[in-house]
Amino acid sequence: MKKVILVCLLALLTAFGSTLVAQGVQESAKGPLKFSMYYSDNATLPFKSDWLTVTEVQKRLNVDVEFEIIPIADYQTKVSLALNTGTNAPDVILYQSTKGENAALALNGAIVPISDYAAWTPHFNAMVKKFGLEDNVNLLRLKDGKRYYMPSLFDVPFYDGGLILREDLLLKYGLSAPKTFDDLYNVLKVFKEKNPGSYPLTILAGPRVLYRMTMPSWGISLGKNGASGTNTLSWDYTAKNFFAGAISDQYKQYVTFFAKLYKEGLLDPEMAEPIDGDRWAQKLATGKSMATYAYYDQIGGVTRTSTIPGFKLQMYPSLAGPAGAHHQPKSKTGAGILFPAATAKRKDFEQIVRAVDEMFFSEENSLMWCLGVEGITYTKQGDKVVFANDILNAPEGIYKSMQIKYGCGSDVTQMIWVNAREMTKYDANYAAINAAVEAIGDVIQAIPPTPMFDDKQAEQAGSLQTPLADAFERWNTAFLTGTKSIDKDWSAYVQEMKNLGIEKFVKIYNDNLQ
Amino acid sequence: MRIRSSSFSTRAFDAFILLVMLGVLFTCLVPFIYMVALSLSSPKAIINNQVSFWPVGFNIEAYKQIFSYPNFFQAYRNTIFYTVAGTAIALVLTVMFAYPLSKPMLRGHGFITKLVIFSMFFSGGLIPNYLLISSLHLTQKVWAMLIPFAINQFNLIILINFFKSMPAELEEAAIIDGLDYAGILVRIIVPLSTAALATIALYTAVFFWNDWFNGLIYLKSKQFPVMLFLRNIVTGTSMVGDAAGAGDKTSIAISIKSAVIITSTLPIIVLYPFLQRYFVKGVLVGSIKG
Amino acid sequence: MNTSPARSRFRQYWQLYAMMVIPLIYFILFKYVPMFGNVLAFRRYRPGMGPFGTEWVGLQYFKRFAQDPAFWRAFRNTLTLSLMNLVVNFPIPIIFAILLNELRNLRFKKIVQTVSYMPRFISTVVVIAILGELLSPSSGIINLFLKRFFDMEPIYFMNDEKYFRWIYVFVDTWQYTGWTAIIYLAAITGISSDLYEAATIDGASRIQQVFYITIPSIMPTIMVMLILNIGRLLSLGFEKVLLMYTPSNSAVSDIIDTLVYRTGLANQNYSYATAIGLFSGIIGVVLVSSSNALSKKLTGDGIY
Repeated sequence: MKKVILVCLLALLTAFGSTLVAQGVQESAKGPLKFSMYYSDNATLPFKSDWLTVTEVQKRLNVDVEFEIIPIADYQTKVSLALNTGTNAPDVILYQSTKGENAALALNGAIVPISDYAAWTPHFNAMVKKFGLEDNVNLLRLKDGKRYYMPSLFDVPFYDGGLILREDLLLKYGLSAPKTFDDLYNVLKVFKEKNPGSYPLTILAGPRVLYRMTMPSWGISLGKNGASGTNTLSWDYTAKNFFAGAISDQYKQYVTFFAKLYKEGLLDPEMAEPIDGDRWAQKLATGKSMATYAYYDQIGGVTRTSTIPGFKLQMYPSLAGPAGAHHQPKSKTGAGILFPAATAKRKDFEQIVRAVDEMFFSEENSLMWCLGVEGITYTKQGDKVVFANDILNAPEGIYKSMQIKYGCGSDVTQMIWVNAREMTKYDANYAAINAAVEAIGDVIQAIPPTPMFDDKQAEQAGSLQTPLADAFERWNTAFLTGTKSIDKDWSAYVQEMKNLGIEKFVKIYNDNLQ
Repeated sequence: MRIRSSSFSTRAFDAFILLVMLGVLFTCLVPFIYMVALSLSSPKAIINNQVSFWPVGFNIEAYKQIFSYPNFFQAYRNTIFYTVAGTAIALVLTVMFAYPLSKPMLRGHGFITKLVIFSMFFSGGLIPNYLLISSLHLTQKVWAMLIPFAINQFNLIILINFFKSMPAELEEAAIIDGLDYAGILVRIIVPLSTAALATIALYTAVFFWNDWFNGLIYLKSKQFPVMLFLRNIVTGTSMVGDAAGAGDKTSIAISIKSAVIITSTLPIIVLYPFLQRYFVKGVLVGSIKG
Repeated sequence: MNTSPARSRFRQYWQLYAMMVIPLIYFILFKYVPMFGNVLAFRRYRPGMGPFGTEWVGLQYFKRFAQDPAFWRAFRNTLTLSLMNLVVNFPIPIIFAILLNELRNLRFKKIVQTVSYMPRFISTVVVIAILGELLSPSSGIINLFLKRFFDMEPIYFMNDEKYFRWIYVFVDTWQYTGWTAIIYLAAITGISSDLYEAATIDGASRIQQVFYITIPSIMPTIMVMLILNIGRLLSLGFEKVLLMYTPSNSAVSDIIDTLVYRTGLANQNYSYATAIGLFSGIIGVVLVSSSNALSKKLTGDGIY
């Protein structure tokens, strides 16, 4: 019997012992430059290590990149842990910025201040200059005047989603395409009259998509996906400062408009999250709803499943509201690449930075992350890009099939986005809508600047933010659904927001602008 | 076995139980049947609300898509390994701890039990745990998945309780027969606690089967358990508070979500009927005394 | 062989002590060492500057939540929801296990047993999505039924604070009854069949046998489970509540975990979360030790 215990003990001890024999990372002295990289993986286009783009770029640069594939839903957790503890961090992290916690991590020395090494990033510098984004990139500096990541760069932001309507019904009922929100109201009204059982305007993923795409036409951007990330503040583009958007007259007008839609049965009352993508598609495909705010990419899927004859969805440019026609504000810089502090301790740090710079920002490699390799994924006829037949004929469309098959156009690895070049991957209709949007002018405004907080200010702002956001959400839903009256209860609402310190919140933000 | 009497009240009792059980069967089975049907139906049929309990537009695209996920089978193998090895380690350690703690005459037994219970309510938080595992050089090794969760306090207390309920005469008799405590544990206690051990094994196996978080934080992507990928397909980006809203652009079809659930739960569900033979009634005390 | 009692005790029990060595080391290493992380409740955490924070701030974080009405609302919501859950979902698995045990057809019994534990494996996200579909005001089967037979206006269950708690509790019943019942089934397996035989000879009916043999025999297990469950009153299914949370039902659906989650999203505040975690832990210990004491007094049994 003692033997049994002994065996158990021994088994456990050997188990522990063997773990102590560290496997160690083999670092070969010669051969290609080796480094590891976190990659944020989206389940709809799973990373493949044999993607053309991935193998080609390593061949071109003679590097051996060890990709760590981390599911997107848990990416931030993994990154946060690596940066917070500084142990087991990879050499390079993709798809990051210095918003939120990363700002504090950067200021406390967990991230390499890449702006100090500008001499090693010639390709990035050249692209910034080419796009004229020097000011935008400078805005990414933190309180110490340093920038901690290399963002992705956009020459012109995309109009990739917006109002989507049943074009066939517009024609059928003899309506013209809406240009203003009043037009939209009339269109929805007709839809409702002709289809009494329907809720003409439905929403995707809870009301946040609707809010973020429509509020800017009233001069505000609030809620979970508000452009400033503050939930309750908005940016005044003329005065160049923040104001308490949640208690502004603009917001009052906004919620009055949508409360009217709600009351008249024009807006789908089912807006609790999570609205399944499938249920949203179901409502549109079966004709229970005829309008929505969503993304161009999603039209194809809904259309394919509908059995209604003549079913056609079309996306329209932003509608004009009291503050003009605006879409969700977008930045010309996006998520990009950062280096954990430990990478700077490597002897070959310079080579790594130079390799990463060339891998993602050089003319030829950034072209490859977008279009693939000439002769394989596309050929050139004069200036025109002609895609290979397997891509052209793919049922899921050029853009999606290039993503899935070749790893092109993934927003994790593509750092350079040229609007005109992207449009070659879509149909003429999409390009036409984007052109129409550009013709209106200033539809897509810039994202408000991020104030430069230190730890304590960030903590103070954070402690004000959540209660304000909660109160706003609660009142907003109540106003929208009519359980509170906008006329009668507005002052009580404003008072509550003031008691929760919205004015102080505005002040902290405005006091710390660059 | 009990003698069957067939009085009216007994038959009414039987009918009542049968009714309840049929209700349970129905409510628990229907969603699964629905999901199997969804996973085998065409997106068109699903969107148009034609699917109830039988696939419409039968196809196995959803399964093909899951199986084509890179490293899917590797991850599946990882999970099976973590489940088997983790459960084995957990059982050994839990039994070794529970048996002494079930002996009230043992000095320190009360204090240690309190220590165990106390630890249920305070965790150190993510970062200290991570640094501990890291300083033990366990990160990026499969041990990080197996060791830190080897003893679950809840299971331990359940097992202590089971051991306590064993008749003391059994042990007294064994001691007179010349067995020491290790012998009693291996020869008598363990064979007589198969139901309890099967319960603990099941609970532990399910824990390891479903665990994705520890895999995420401690392991490299090649060692990831399959649940990490599958969870990501089902949850998708619905839990990501992404300001730009990139997550709202892509939604994953319910047919694929259903297929994921079927693929990821079937193996662990099958485990239970296998363990059920340890739940056979009456083997315990009666057979020993006889 | 005439030594002091302590030594003879050790000699008698040394194997039992030896068995505990590894698990005990394990416990101290993996459960107690990381607990030093709780000093963060009293120190300011700065990301990237060490796991134990940078400076002492005393009770600042405790004061912050203690003075926050939203925290106390979340605290009340947590307790209310937990208590409801306990009252409904504690007895149900016991009843289920007993009834299952009374089934005579063994094959049917096995099937029910397996099927009843299946809901445990459906991801919460999917459970809530299915629920949303069933309860939808426009297409949900429940509302269609209410309209057809009672001519009622559609009710938006998922968005109404009146229904939130009951929905939560019943989903829990569905998800966990079969799963939790396994413990009781194992306990019932341990009951000697002699007891039943004797009772049958004495002429006890099956219902009497349930009350006089089965329930008393599994009472220790029931008490252990009850004490453990009371200790867990402050921990609820976070993911489920989060998925069911809407601004309209937030008055009842905002629990401690969701509040901490939202606060953390706005500002990665480890110290604040640690302080709340410590507070919940203390409550848990108080609950468990007092219910244990009470149980010992009433039934003579406890978990320690």
